[in-house]
Amino acid sequence: MGLLQNIIFGVVTGSYIAIAAIGFTLIYGIVNMINFAYGEYLTLGAFIGFFAATTFPIPLPVAALVAMAGGGLASIVLARGFFTPINQTGPVPLLLTSIGLGIALRNAIRLVAGREARYYDTETTTFRFDAIPDLSVGSVDLLGGFFVTSEQLIVVASAVTVFVAIHGLLTRTDVGIAMRAMGDDENLARVRGIDTQLIRDSVWVLAGVLAGLSGVLLAIQTNVNATTGFSQILQILSAAILGGAGSPYGAILGAYLIGIVLALSTAFLPSGMSGLSSAVAFAILIIVLLVKPSGIAGTEVREA
Amino acid sequence: MSALDRIPTDNGDLALLAGLCCVLLGGLFALTPLRAQLPSAFYVFVEVGILFVIYGLLVLGLDLQYGHTGLVNFGHVAFFAVGAYGTAMLSAQDTFAGIGLGYPWPLALGVGVVAAALVGLGVSVTSIRLRGDFLAIVTLAAAEILHSIFVNFEGVFGGNVGILGVPRPIAALVGDADTRLAATLLVIGGITLVTLAGVTRLTSAPYGRVLRAIRADELVTRSVGKSTVTYKTQAFVYGAALAGLAGGLFALYNGAVAPGFFTIQVTVTVWIGMLLGGAANHRAVLAGLAIIMGLRLISRFALDVTPVSSDVFASIRLVVVGLILVAVIRYRPAGIWGDPQELGVDR
Amino acid sequence: MSLLSADELVKEFGGLRAIDGLSVSIDTGELVGVIGPNGAGKSTLFNCISGVITPDEGVVTYDGTEVTGDPPEKLARRGLVRTFQSTRELETMTVRDNVRLAAPDQPGEQTLSALLRTDSMQSAERAVRTRTDELLETFELDHLADEYSGNLSGGQRKLLELARALMLDPDLLMLDEPFAGVNPTLTDEIAERIRELNEDGMTVIIIEHELETLTELVDRLIVLQQGRILVDGQPDDVLSDDRVIEAYLGGEV
Repeated sequence: MGLLQNIIFGVVTGSYIAIAAIGFTLIYGIVNMINFAYGEYLTLGAFIGFFAATTFPIPLPVAALVAMAGGGLASIVLARGFFTPINQTGPVPLLLTSIGLGIALRNAIRLVAGREARYYDTETTTFRFDAIPDLSVGSVDLLGGFFVTSEQLIVVASAVTVFVAIHGLLTRTDVGIAMRAMGDDENLARVRGIDTQLIRDSVWVLAGVLAGLSGVLLAIQTNVNATTGFSQILQILSAAILGGAGSPYGAILGAYLIGIVLALSTAFLPSGMSGLSSAVAFAILIIVLLVKPSGIAGTEVREA
Repeated sequence: MSALDRIPTDNGDLALLAGLCCVLLGGLFALTPLRAQLPSAFYVFVEVGILFVIYGLLVLGLDLQYGHTGLVNFGHVAFFAVGAYGTAMLSAQDTFAGIGLGYPWPLALGVGVVAAALVGLGVSVTSIRLRGDFLAIVTLAAAEILHSIFVNFEGVFGGNVGILGVPRPIAALVGDADTRLAATLLVIGGITLVTLAGVTRLTSAPYGRVLRAIRADELVTRSVGKSTVTYKTQAFVYGAALAGLAGGLFALYNGAVAPGFFTIQVTVTVWIGMLLGGAANHRAVLAGLAIIMGLRLISRFALDVTPVSSDVFASIRLVVVGLILVAVIRYRPAGIWGDPQELGVDR
Repeated sequence: MSLLSADELVKEFGGLRAIDGLSVSIDTGELVGVIGPNGAGKSTLFNCISGVITPDEGVVTYDGTEVTGDPPEKLARRGLVRTFQSTRELETMTVRDNVRLAAPDQPGEQTLSALLRTDSMQSAERAVRTRTDELLETFELDHLADEYSGNLSGGQRKLLELARALMLDPDLLMLDEPFAGVNPTLTDEIAERIRELNEDGMTVIIIEHELETLTELVDRLIVLQQGRILVDGQPDDVLSDDRVIEAYLGGEV
């Protein structure tokens, strides 16, 4: 398989990570917490989408919308129940709470849905491009024939749609502009008469909607099980921090970098060590935190 | 409270005495024909008790890091695993997979502790300046990386099977199961008590005053002339070394190590024990750990009488564990015996 | 003899020059006041000198050696001790421990001494306790010794911070607004203490917002404006300076 094919895989992976990373980083920027339970939101979305599509005679895009609505609702309910009451206690108690909530949710999902993996029923068309010549440098083929599936195109197209929508939201709407203001300086935002709790709630809903979509896309690519989202949380987190925690645009960039690095490391690590590819993502995260803690554009995370 | 105020009333030296007695008694069981007899219903308690005293070392180290110094280490299991793997790989005779060098176990245990301390040093040199929540993420990620390395490098670490054939010094000396269990509990429990005495001395001395000052306000601590980075690094390394010791003892008790013993569940259990008991209070964190591990005991018994599969039961237990963590932080942020004012959670 | 000198210090925050080519020299034994409107760069100057932040340009010299960018703990051990504008107590520690913490050269702050409870640690700690009790008594905080410092009033915090700084037995004491939020009686007491310390040979620099106490207390007054020194001289001369009247006192005089 050539490099080009792996980059395509990386872009697809980057796309669903990016959608989730935007939600994750918005929570970080506005609520000022690392939400370690966020992976479970993806899992919830994936399951809601799956059961919607299998229980009712609705097409997949509609099921995805149901998953997004469900994700948004779950997110705000969980936030109101678990995070908003301890908003003032600082980042560490919030992080620990989210870790506890994540464990509880993950196992509750396992209780309800069982251990086995479920697969979305989709029809896939594969487009092959075999005419591209190989360009071998050593053992690495820099070009080579490649294929894309209709599923992969859907994932990437969804991501681009989300980026455009988020950009519009943050620059054109009152809520979005207030979100950015609050991310910059919460006190100033409050002084200017922004209802900070309303904005926080909006961010929770938005992050849940994005998690629902990302979960469905992830599940279409792979499958749905109780750890579907959890297996992605460190990648999502890495992408968000890489892009500068709190910056949605940085998160997109970080997600594609992580996605491509993951795909390449899977392809070029010796067989039998492909399980290390997630370790590669965490290693990137650690290096970023050490070398440039503020990410590509973002806030200082070191103490004075 | 400070050093000399505490000295007459603290139980640190009592723990030292009790610990030495336990080790001695355990040694008697192991080395002489003296035999213990346990009622068979008692077995499960002793087994969980051994795990408790091993985890006790973990929670004492973590409390030194978080409770006293404010360092949010959410990858504590990594140091536990390094100590265990280091000890196991150096001492294992004929492991099925991975490396087993067959050196004497005391040497192996020493290397395991040093290895854990060095990994702790590596983490602190690079990350100790990070803000609390980011330090948590880095340590957590480091633990995950380590876990996947153990699983993936089969030739070295034995993959999912792990390292087998680790010597069991106490089992080698004592034939019958009752005496073996009693001796193991006494020896490791004694080591934990001695450790309790050590950390109590450390934290009730002016040393501990500096650690608690760092937790309160690092800049102020620096501006009165304390090299806070040195203290933070020391506290982190000591905690890592204690976790390494726990890992080494675990390997020598269990006779094998595998990735399944070193999951994030270990970190979560120890954290809940610490928060539930009350951070920055050595006996409280041990008591908190006893409560959360007692839950494990209850769930074992409950499993026998309920008609659900062990799989379902494990999930239910984890839901409960997760919710306990959430509830403690929300309703009892200083834990059961912690001092809300000392911990700065008085709201 | 010059104890402390700053030479051409520059510090920028996001393109704004908080201090802008500032040079100043303080002699041993002086009692100096620094005043200026908000944003004149007073606290930034303190932060640059005490190592809390590193200046972008310029050199800080203390007691004959260059200390630019040296960390606060190193300077504190060399006798350059500062307090903070918004009092920073160790709120989760008792008043007693706040002061005891600052004791220099306590061997019990080493792992081995602490574990062995060495005699040197015990005797040092006895001395620390005595000195702490003395300081708490002097500042009339002894009845609050076992209180968590988070429970103190604003004025009591200022006193505690001063006591903690004195525990280090500093050569140069830098006080950032020691009278802010303190009632008039207490202000006079603190001023009296500072004067005594100075008469015993301690060099003191005080940042203050309110002029009255300061002009009576200090030997020398430095007026900052927009990160530069506007006027530097004897209090009476400074206060009658036209530029000061115009820039700082405005219509008040």
